[in-house]
Amino acid sequence: MSFFSRKDRKKPTRLFFATDLHGSERTYRKFINSGKFYDVNILVMGGDITGKLLIPVIKEENGYRATLQGRTEHLSTETELQGLVERLGTLGFYYKIMEEGEFFGIQGDPAKIDALFHELARKRLEDWVDLAETRLKGTGIRCFVTGGNDDDPEVLQAIHRAGTEAFIACEGQVKVIDEDHTMVSVGYSTPTPWKTPREIPDDQLAEMIEKIIPQVSTLERCIFNFHDPPLDSTLDTCPMLDWSTDPPTPIVKAGQMVMHGAGSQSVRRAIEKYQPMLGLHGHIHESQAAARIGRTLCVNPGSEYGEGVLRGCLVTFAEGKVEGFQMTSG
Amino acid sequence: MSAVKPEIFTRKASGLVRVMSPYSAFIYNILTMGLIFPWTYLWAPGALPGGKLVWGILLATLLEIPIAFAYVWLSTALPRSGGDYVFQSRAFGGFWGFTLLMSGFVIWILQWVALSGWLLSYLGFAPLFLGLGATLQNAALSGIGVWFTSSWGIIVVSVLNALLSLVLLVSGFKNYVKVQYVMFYSILAAFATMLIVLFTTSPASFIQHLNAFAIASGGGANFFQTAVEATKAAGIDLHPPFSLWATLLVAPIAWTSVQWATYSAEQNGEIKDARSFKSQTFILVGSLIVTGILLALLAAGIERVGGSEFLAVSGAGYWSGVAEAKISGFWLWPNILAVALTASPIVVIIIALGYILNSFQIVCNCYIGVTRIMVGMSLDRLLPEWVSRVHEKLHTPVNAHLAYFIASIPVIFLYNLYPKWAPLTLGVTFACGYVFAASSLAGALLPFRAKEVYEASPGARYKLGKVPWVTILGGIGAVFGFAMVLSYLVVPALGLVSTLAYSVVFGIIAISAIWYFLAKRAQKARGINVDYAFKEIPPE
Repeated sequence: MSFFSRKDRKKPTRLFFATDLHGSERTYRKFINSGKFYDVNILVMGGDITGKLLIPVIKEENGYRATLQGRTEHLSTETELQGLVERLGTLGFYYKIMEEGEFFGIQGDPAKIDALFHELARKRLEDWVDLAETRLKGTGIRCFVTGGNDDDPEVLQAIHRAGTEAFIACEGQVKVIDEDHTMVSVGYSTPTPWKTPREIPDDQLAEMIEKIIPQVSTLERCIFNFHDPPLDSTLDTCPMLDWSTDPPTPIVKAGQMVMHGAGSQSVRRAIEKYQPMLGLHGHIHESQAAARIGRTLCVNPGSEYGEGVLRGCLVTFAEGKVEGFQMTSG
Repeated sequence: MSAVKPEIFTRKASGLVRVMSPYSAFIYNILTMGLIFPWTYLWAPGALPGGKLVWGILLATLLEIPIAFAYVWLSTALPRSGGDYVFQSRAFGGFWGFTLLMSGFVIWILQWVALSGWLLSYLGFAPLFLGLGATLQNAALSGIGVWFTSSWGIIVVSVLNALLSLVLLVSGFKNYVKVQYVMFYSILAAFATMLIVLFTTSPASFIQHLNAFAIASGGGANFFQTAVEATKAAGIDLHPPFSLWATLLVAPIAWTSVQWATYSAEQNGEIKDARSFKSQTFILVGSLIVTGILLALLAAGIERVGGSEFLAVSGAGYWSGVAEAKISGFWLWPNILAVALTASPIVVIIIALGYILNSFQIVCNCYIGVTRIMVGMSLDRLLPEWVSRVHEKLHTPVNAHLAYFIASIPVIFLYNLYPKWAPLTLGVTFACGYVFAASSLAGALLPFRAKEVYEASPGARYKLGKVPWVTILGGIGAVFGFAMVLSYLVVPALGLVSTLAYSVVFGIIAISAIWYFLAKRAQKARGINVDYAFKEIPPE
């Protein structure tokens, strides 16, 4: 009788998931260190890894000036400059020190701004791959990283590096997590009002998912690492926006903002249909939540990268079952 | 003139949008401070003869300013829902964060749920019917008014009040915000009406109006003269000399209201521009100053029309139990006074509506703030997982709301049926007071205990020499706050000095601490380390 006999159980796998770091240097460093800190085997980064803002640090006669959080700061010493650079790293902003003339040359030229963004974002991602390789070397911890809708495909090439030991770019592939479990990753999202680089209509997202699913041998032991959360799952709640304005503005009815689920129908259908063990999602920063869709535990740890806070979710699983999960705020 | 373009480059990227405008949060705080709730006006003159109401209220406001500023720094650095819980667990660790918030807010605010039902029934519906009965000469209406003062009348109203709030909030936070505007402007109208009545009625006709109202409400003739004689007979000085000590002690009583200036921090995750220093200053410090001035104005109005003699009589009824100093069983609250001074049913309705809506708003605030904290605790695995489940369609934490509603029912019964329980209401001010003072201390320690978070916040640039302003203001606020909290435990005039009070106050703290250790142990058995929820990962 099983009541009296103790069944030999496999040691559970511990996974830490974080997402939407948006270029935040400090948060990424915490993410890499979280492997040892939380004693996990697997790290998963769920997309939207590149920053949104570039701060020109303009040289002046007696130092530098930079505009941060709506305020122009004048820096007269190298120590002050270093302090600013550290703050920009925490906030996930890129920066470039430039002459006034160079700034004016770039300011009115969207193509030049784009090129500069790409250059700095690629450089940061390359540094991140190096950092992961250095810090995780010999630990046995593997770090799986995918892009999100905010990440430009050209910039994302920086994470696809051959010969890495710990850092694994996993998008669009089936990856083996441990001897029992696999993970599939999709970083694209359905259209947003911001018209970000990697958006596709929901039916195309469904096709993308359906294309990869047949490669999974045991779906009930699979993790769906899909950046877009399932529609109306509480992992996707945010204000409804007017797409015709730039930037998009919240829709207000009877004096109040209208809230809705902004996730993907095709992601939801895939989870309902295939019932994987676990769904890892992000995209909607303000919608930290965990929900069950059938047997599948779906989590969105949310994101507070701007505060230097690493939000994440620790998940313990074995033999196709989630044994426990815990939201963290590191 | 065209606006100067900021010197930054942006790219197309998705963003986060928050629901509550800074103005809504500003209103929310004013309403939470209970603009029209009147303890100070009865309790202080009764317990602290010679204390100056206006100065005491302004002093409480002044003492709360550094605390409110500490919250500005904390809110801009950590603009997340569950404010106090987040601030304290960051600064002091999980044990203190949980124990202080669980005891001070989650458990003690159940008493506020009961109290708001009492307010609704006793200060909202009862004066409405009593006032209409008196102005329309209708005994049936007066009888209904009296029912609302009975224990079972208050219990029925309290349960319905909590249930209606539950339904409104579970249906969606946006629905509450919609109703909040109606409540705010109705309350402002009631408050303005009271001020107009108090500042325009001739002091010479004051006694005549009050006596006429007493007769119309079923009392005897010459109410005020009888009350004055009874007060004198109780050994109470009708014209006490000015006392600085008593004036200073009015501040902790007025703090019962103004300490709530920072309650919007619990919803920081839902407030638009929550990271803006300017917005948070407007929300937290602005609402405090506006409320402090309005409360002082109300005190000035009562003093103007009734003089020190009236204050002594109303205080004697409330504090010393002088039965003759009550009208139909009512203490002489400011709204009763304003209703008594006017013969207009319209004025009665306006004032009563303000009190009814503010009472309802108080219970909503209890649910809104506490359920956010409960969700945070549940996500940290210190409360059961089902507490943090959010309804798929309604997008609200239905389970947390239901749990809090059910927990409030026994407290409502205790409050209204067990006479020794009601005086413990001050425990809410005491308990919430230590939460606010501890958060002020968390603000003072923020630059040292959460250095990176602080450095990345907009407030990091404000320093006095090398000392962060938040450390100075948070430290001053904590000293003021804890001094007021301590005063409740040692000054008899402030109340929490009975064996029962000490047992309940410290028992609740002990239960919360034990809960923390039991929850931590239970989660450990499931392979979950609760400490991970609070520990900051070193970036280097």
